[in-house]
Parts: sequence; structure tokens; C-alpha cells
Amino acid sequence: MSIPLVPELLRSHLEKLAAADARIDGRARFEPRETTLETGILGNAEGSARVQMGNTIVLAGVKFQLMTPYPDRPTQGGLMCSAEVRPVAGRGWEAGPPSAESIELGRVVDRGIRESGCIDVDELCIIPGERAWQVILDLFAVSDDGNLFDAFALAGIAALRTAVVPAERFEVGEDYPLPVSKTPIMCSYHKVGGRYVLDADKREETGGDERIHITLGDDGHVHSLQKGLKGIFSAAEFDEIMEHALTRCAELRELVDNATKE
Amino acid sequence: MMGGYGDVQMIDENGLRMDGRKPEDCRPIEIETGVIPVADGSARVIWGKNEVIAAVYGPMEAHPRKIQRQDRAVLDVRYNMAPFSTSDRIRPGFNRRSREISKVTAEALESVVLLELYPRSKIRVEIEIICAEAGTRCAGITAASVALAHAGIPMTDLVVSVASGKVNDIVVCDLNKEEDNYGEADLPMGILPNTGELVFLQMDGDLSQEEFKTAWDYNMEAASKIHEEMARALKGGDA
Repeated sequence: MSIPLVPELLRSHLEKLAAADARIDGRARFEPRETTLETGILGNAEGSARVQMGNTIVLAGVKFQLMTPYPDRPTQGGLMCSAEVRPVAGRGWEAGPPSAESIELGRVVDRGIRESGCIDVDELCIIPGERAWQVILDLFAVSDDGNLFDAFALAGIAALRTAVVPAERFEVGEDYPLPVSKTPIMCSYHKVGGRYVLDADKREETGGDERIHITLGDDGHVHSLQKGLKGIFSAAEFDEIMEHALTRCAELRELVDNATKE
Repeated sequence: MMGGYGDVQMIDENGLRMDGRKPEDCRPIEIETGVIPVADGSARVIWGKNEVIAAVYGPMEAHPRKIQRQDRAVLDVRYNMAPFSTSDRIRPGFNRRSREISKVTAEALESVVLLELYPRSKIRVEIEIICAEAGTRCAGITAASVALAHAGIPMTDLVVSVASGKVNDIVVCDLNKEEDNYGEADLPMGILPNTGELVFLQMDGDLSQEEFKTAWDYNMEAASKIHEEMARALKGGDA
């Protein structure tokens, strides 16, 4: 329940800053917050990661379950990605059934990972038509200071890349690392004060307009796009952020590579 | 209470437990404040292999208005286990166990928070179990009371919560996962360290009067040690 007056004041403040090519926390337009990534941090998950971007903190955990393959896809396992923003993560998140915002978050991250083909669902089959692995990626927000999308996507792919299939615990063979062949990375841009900025913080999200999420694969291929919230953007604006996303995604991919190295 | 009691030896011939602890010893505990930057107060408790975070938001306006109390603040407490916190994934959503733990935790904390200082407002306490290894409700209550203090909410005392139980007919303090699986009793308590009074008490299992007394005393002794770590975390250094 926001009080409409405060966002109006914040909006006009952000517009003034934008006119002087400045941001509320002093960053340049395409300057990200300091981003750290750690893996193997959850004792009871089969793969895990923690991402901190400024004051935004998220966790990702991978669990496995045995499933019966779907009749029309008897040789395939499954991948499920679920994002939960519980009220622990901020004043604005309320208890109750998942909000539209948190469902969108989970689905956009899920599409980026799924569509990149980084997990071959055929490799998750144990006995065709009878048994397969379901990989469940749970994304959990600890502290929301904006741009949960990028934090979730980064933690998610890092957690998958460090996951070990717990075959021994389920008595179906030996444990082995989950094969993950690619590293899809999401980059999000928010319209703040009339122009797009990278990695918006909570105040920029609150006083800004529409947002665009781009997920790129290793080869620069586009795997998922999402435009969120009310707002109009031009082809020229899109070109500018897509070009920037190519550079930023490569930087973040290197961060994942370094954090998941043995 | 689980099956298999008596089959597995959890205490060796020297009276030591599988992780080397004496019966009255608590697992190592480490507390840090300020772990959730956007919260008004927060704490992380790493207790054995348990990891619990707690956030406090408020005092803030209580809405909808019908939940407001004219004479005091409402304490809105939630205990929840993250889906990846246990060996088998927990499905998000409504859960009777979490509801009950939330309720008794709220009642424990309401006993010490000076709610009458903030009429018509709400204080939110969010407890999230990130990694579970037996004793999460105690770790949750302990974390929440540190987070409340960290948020600057006036309280008459902190609440230290710890449980003792019984394995192989021997009373032990602060059961770990393996012990809990073969545990024959569980006595969690919420203790006010300055007075030794209680604000939270549960028990299940089978304890003789003497065993009960021992378990009670173990909890009291453990509470004073845990309180030292809570105070150290809140003072931001060596207490």
C-alpha cells in the first residue's frame, strides 16, 4: 500500500538527476553495483549460490526429486524454477499467496535458463517412461534493494552449475555433477527519469517506469526478453541497451565461471 | 520417539556423543547482526549446522485497520522453512507446523516486547530457516530476539531458546539431527537470561521426574552461554 505522494516526489527528484546525467546513488547510467557471487553455501541443497548486488541479497538452492516422465516425453526429466519473495526481504513484500510480481520473477528467470538449453532434459532420464530426475531451482530473496531479477538469474545459473545429482541418496547409482552446458545471463534495465539505467536500486524502481530484462547465452544468442510495467520505449532505446547487455553479460559470465571453478 | 530407539548407539562408553560433546554441551553457536541491509533490525544465527535469519520491520502503521489495537502494537511473527533448507525439498505454502511455531514464537516474544509503547502500530518479525539440522524453533526464537534488539525495539529482556532431550536413555542438551532422529524426548524452553524466567515451553516424549529436572537444568546452563554470544553480537565485538 504505497502512498502516491511519495513516489511523485521521488519521480521528480529522479528526473532532475537524470537531466544532469546523474543517479540517486552516484553511479553512471550503465554502472552496476558491486556484485559478489559465492557458491556451495547451503548445507542441505545439492547446489547453491549467494549473490549480493549492493544491498540486494539472494540465495539459490537446487534440489532433486524422482518423477515419472510425462507420457508424451518418456525420455525426459524436468526442470522447475520457483522464486519466492517472502516478507523477510523488505517492507513492501507482504505475507500470503505468491504475488504477481514474484510469479513474474520466477517465470522470467525460468525462461532464460530453460530456453538456453543449458540443461539437457534427456540426460535427466533414468529409466525411459518410468523414472527421471526433476531438478528444482528455488530462488529466495534475503534483502530486496532492487533488481531481484538479475540477482536471481545469476544465483540460479551458478547454483545449477555447482549442483550434484544425489543418485546415491535415492539409490539409483552414483552421484554425478549435473551437466550444465551453457551459462545464460540476465541483464535488466529500468527507465528512470526518462532514460534506461542498468541495475536499478529500490528507489529507482519505485520512482521509475518500465523495465526490460534480456537473457543472453554464451554466443550472444537471445534466450528471453520481458518488458515489465507501464511505459513506452523506442527501437533506438532497445538497441542501446541490447548493445550494452552484450558486454555486461560477458562480465557476469566470467564471474560465474570463476565462482564455479573447482 | 522415532522408531529404531535402542538399535543405534548415540553415546559411547566414555559418555561422549557422536560429535564429541558431553551430555550437557550445546553445539557451537555464532550470531551476527545487520545481515539484512533493508530491514530495521536483523540477525543470523549459525547453530551447529542450522542457519537461521530473522528480520524486523517496524514499528509501522498497522493495516488493515481492523488488526490495530488501541492500547498496544501488534506483533506479527512468521516462522518459515526455505524450500532448500532440508534434505527433502519443502513445498512453499501453508503448513500446520510452521503456523504453530509462529504462534508460540509470537507469544514468547510478546511477553518481553514493550508493545504498549506503540499503540495502533505493527511490528513484523520474519524468521526464515535457511538450513535445518534439528532445533530450528529454538534458533528462530533466539535469532528473532536478537533482531528485535538490533532494531532498537524496547524489551524487558532477550529470549534465549534451547532444548534438551534424551537419547539412549541419557539426557542430553541441544540434540543434533542424528540424535533427534532417535530422540526419546524433547524439551524446548524460552528463557529470560536476566531472571531465569520462562516465556516458552513445549515438551514431547518420555522423561522421568529426575530426567526432566536434568533436562531443565541443562537448558538453564546452556542459556547463559548462548546469552553471552547474543550480547557479544549486539555489542558488536567481544562482550
